[in-house]
Amino acid sequence: MSVLRRVGLALFAPVLAVVVAVLISSAVMAALQVDPLRAFEVMVDFGDTPSQQVTALVVVLNRAVPLFLAGLAVAIAFRMGLFNIGVEGQYRLATVVAAGVGAAVVLPGPLHVLLIVLVAMAVAAVWAGIVAVLKVTRGVSEVISSIMLNVIALGIASFLLTGPLRGSPEGASIISTAEIPESGWVPSLNGVLGALGLANPPRQLYGFLLVAVVVGAVIAVLLNRTRFGFDLRAAGLSPSAASASGVDSRGMVVKTMLLSGAVAGLIGLPDLLGSTHAYTTDFTSGLGFLGIAVALLGRNKPIGIALGALLFAFLDRALVPLQIQDFPASVVTIIQGTIVLAVVVANEVARRVARRSAERGSGPAAAVAGDGSTGPGQSTGGPGAAGGEGTGAGVSRTTGAGQRTDERQETGA
Amino acid sequence: MATAGTPAGAPAGPSAGGTGAGGGDAGAAPLAVELRGITKRFPGVVANKDIELRVRRGEVHAIVGENGAGKSTLMKTLYGEHRPDEGQILLDGREVSFRSPADAIAAGIGMVHQHFMLADYFTVLENVVLGSEPTRGGRLDRATARRRITEISERYGLGLRPDDLVEDLGVGDRQRVEIAKVLYRNARTLILDEPTAVLVPQEVDELFGNLAELKREGLTVIFISHKLDEVRKVADAITVIRRGTTVGTADPRTTTARQLAEMMVGTELPSPEIRTSTVRETPVLQLREVTVAAPTGRPPVDDVTLTVREGEVVGIAGVEGNGQAELVDAVMGLRPLATGTVRLGGDDITAWSTRARREAGLGFIPEDRHRQGMLLDAPLWENRILGHQTRPPAVKGPFIDRRAARADTARIMRDYDVRAPGPDTLAVALSGGNQQKLIVGREMSARPRLLLAAHPTRGVDVGAQGAIWRLLEEARAEGMGILLVSADLDELIGLSDTLHVMLRGRLVATLDPSAVTPEELGGYMTGAQTAAGAA
Repeated sequence: MSVLRRVGLALFAPVLAVVVAVLISSAVMAALQVDPLRAFEVMVDFGDTPSQQVTALVVVLNRAVPLFLAGLAVAIAFRMGLFNIGVEGQYRLATVVAAGVGAAVVLPGPLHVLLIVLVAMAVAAVWAGIVAVLKVTRGVSEVISSIMLNVIALGIASFLLTGPLRGSPEGASIISTAEIPESGWVPSLNGVLGALGLANPPRQLYGFLLVAVVVGAVIAVLLNRTRFGFDLRAAGLSPSAASASGVDSRGMVVKTMLLSGAVAGLIGLPDLLGSTHAYTTDFTSGLGFLGIAVALLGRNKPIGIALGALLFAFLDRALVPLQIQDFPASVVTIIQGTIVLAVVVANEVARRVARRSAERGSGPAAAVAGDGSTGPGQSTGGPGAAGGEGTGAGVSRTTGAGQRTDERQETGA
Repeated sequence: MATAGTPAGAPAGPSAGGTGAGGGDAGAAPLAVELRGITKRFPGVVANKDIELRVRRGEVHAIVGENGAGKSTLMKTLYGEHRPDEGQILLDGREVSFRSPADAIAAGIGMVHQHFMLADYFTVLENVVLGSEPTRGGRLDRATARRRITEISERYGLGLRPDDLVEDLGVGDRQRVEIAKVLYRNARTLILDEPTAVLVPQEVDELFGNLAELKREGLTVIFISHKLDEVRKVADAITVIRRGTTVGTADPRTTTARQLAEMMVGTELPSPEIRTSTVRETPVLQLREVTVAAPTGRPPVDDVTLTVREGEVVGIAGVEGNGQAELVDAVMGLRPLATGTVRLGGDDITAWSTRARREAGLGFIPEDRHRQGMLLDAPLWENRILGHQTRPPAVKGPFIDRRAARADTARIMRDYDVRAPGPDTLAVALSGGNQQKLIVGREMSARPRLLLAAHPTRGVDVGAQGAIWRLLEEARAEGMGILLVSADLDELIGLSDTLHVMLRGRLVATLDPSAVTPEELGGYMTGAQTAAGAA
């Protein structure tokens, strides 16, 4: 089959979803007596001067980096048929601990950053590991346990922030950890912008962007080119066939959740190491839930997730200009929500199309095949608005998933 | 294998005493259910072919056949879950066409599923009326419902108390609730799908009592089973299905379990020619006192001891559900042993993981290829890797060698005649026979010391069947040990060097396949004949 057709099939679902979402959002806006065309115009308006435009671009990229990492963390688990709803708690807890550790030590530059990164990954991996252990030993659904652990993680994070790790003075309006010394900062990439001949904006482009790209590439290779990735995907496609092929399903659950958690630990670091340098009460939240939406939009593939993250980041950026122009900020939330719903529907449509064409024997339809668990019966609740409280994510599993759980419980018992 | 009494394809003996000399044909009363030439195809398979079924009003009509023979497909057709591609369905002499089960229910057909569909936290009454609730002023009319359910229960001797919580009921009672559900919807013809599979013997007797009541009230029962003794006890007429088509009818009064078994598994296929034994001395697989425990009840595999030598095919015969699947899982390391040891070559592999066993030279052709053998939504080359993730040619160190995997998949497709567009085709696009040939090719390519083949030709067409048999024989000649689990007597007798019969988890007889007839084998499988003097 031609490359063109392959790409076409792969893009079919997400593009359809975005188009449908735009149409629905327009209808909603029209009903609210907001001019949709005008709203979209504001959203794509990056400003007049080169400096403003580059600034807008930097804002989008800075936002996309954590979203990409969040989507990646969720996707790793999704590919094995696991629903890591706990990314939110994992990264918040990891970030506060990493901020505390980073502020408490002084090390030479790269080592300091490395230590913070490793601490964050380890904390989040352990937190995700609890979910895995509960699942393989007691048969607890990872959806339930990871949601509950979110609540616990947020509680512990608050306790750490207001208690042992507090660095801000009594009575400060925003409580924060002590600031990480400069050796623990990740330098910005503004030099690169300059080298590209772009205006140097007042905003700093996160250096963590490079880390995210590397992590994305590593995960892509790991999932698609290695034995480990094959085992993981096989377990996602058919747990029973994977076991019969020699995959230790319980071990895979633990490994996958640890990996998913380790990536989740990185989510807070672009902001922490690139701009805030401390964990605060108003630290970005909701990224874990947005990550579910981004993973879904990107069909659990790193490239797709990157595009999904950019789209969501673009929508997020539009919040401020929309409000300045007196548009309700909920416009963006509505679009994000409808995109997610549309993606779920479009994915299923694309899956059926591909499967039907495969069953007719009209040649390979690998586009939809690869992403295992994303197919049927999974839906995500509305993602939290940017910076707001995550509205939680209702994930339902239908076809095949129930049976899958049963089997794991059997082996776990 | 054409045995004297039963010419190929037309089991004359049983059917002669069968349907009352064609009384149904010209008889006065029209048949309650008649299926004519029903054919149902799924992509790549013909699940039912030219099915002929004639069920008289007021009889218990049994449909017997192996698992996978097409009984369920047929009943789904009759219950309106899908439409046949060809053929006619006649109820009381009138042709009908069902779009959905709702149509079938409206026409008086009811289905009692093998797996109960009851809400545990609802009462009997609530479960029975669920979906067709009598209402008064928009609210559930409990009085009417209770009256009707009590009436049904008394009339057919079901002994149901409408206010019991289903959660508190035993299996037998739950089944009666299911029957009541169907009767509540005014069914005149009941389909019972393997109703005895979940029951203990006393409950089976009670069920048969209930069926007698239903019959006395003039209802028709279609009873699906593969338990021949029960069928002979309860049925008034029997229709046998084999490989998707009806092969004959039998009168339970004049037909023995053996004759039925013979009809079920078929004796018309050519038996592989007499050949020289290739059995060598060295054992490749030794099972010693292997027992697999179940959470409740008797162990599914009970004290099994057997040896497979190099170049030997050891067959395990048995009616489905007598522990063969559990034995296969135990050998593959998918199910823990309660006691006993498994040795592969010189190694005690009892505690080894499935992967370690596969690496040590255990090949596996699973019974259910969709469940255990393939990733349907993955391309063929990925399916080539499945089960061989740690071995060349498709794997290099920790990495997948995509190019080599594709190349080797192409080779398998060529050598084993797998018909598909190419290695990038999704497995789901292949027919059952081609999927199976890919699995066989994949397992053979790793040159296992022992091949565990569970129903290797189930659900594949005759051509693929012959090809797979030939491959197994060639592998055996090269010294591979093969443990063959099958329900196909011709396959077992034709391929095996040693034949064990498994009944209720135990190996009850060891037979010489060159001396045993399918009738004898059938006798051992159903327990009608015991091991005395055998082996």
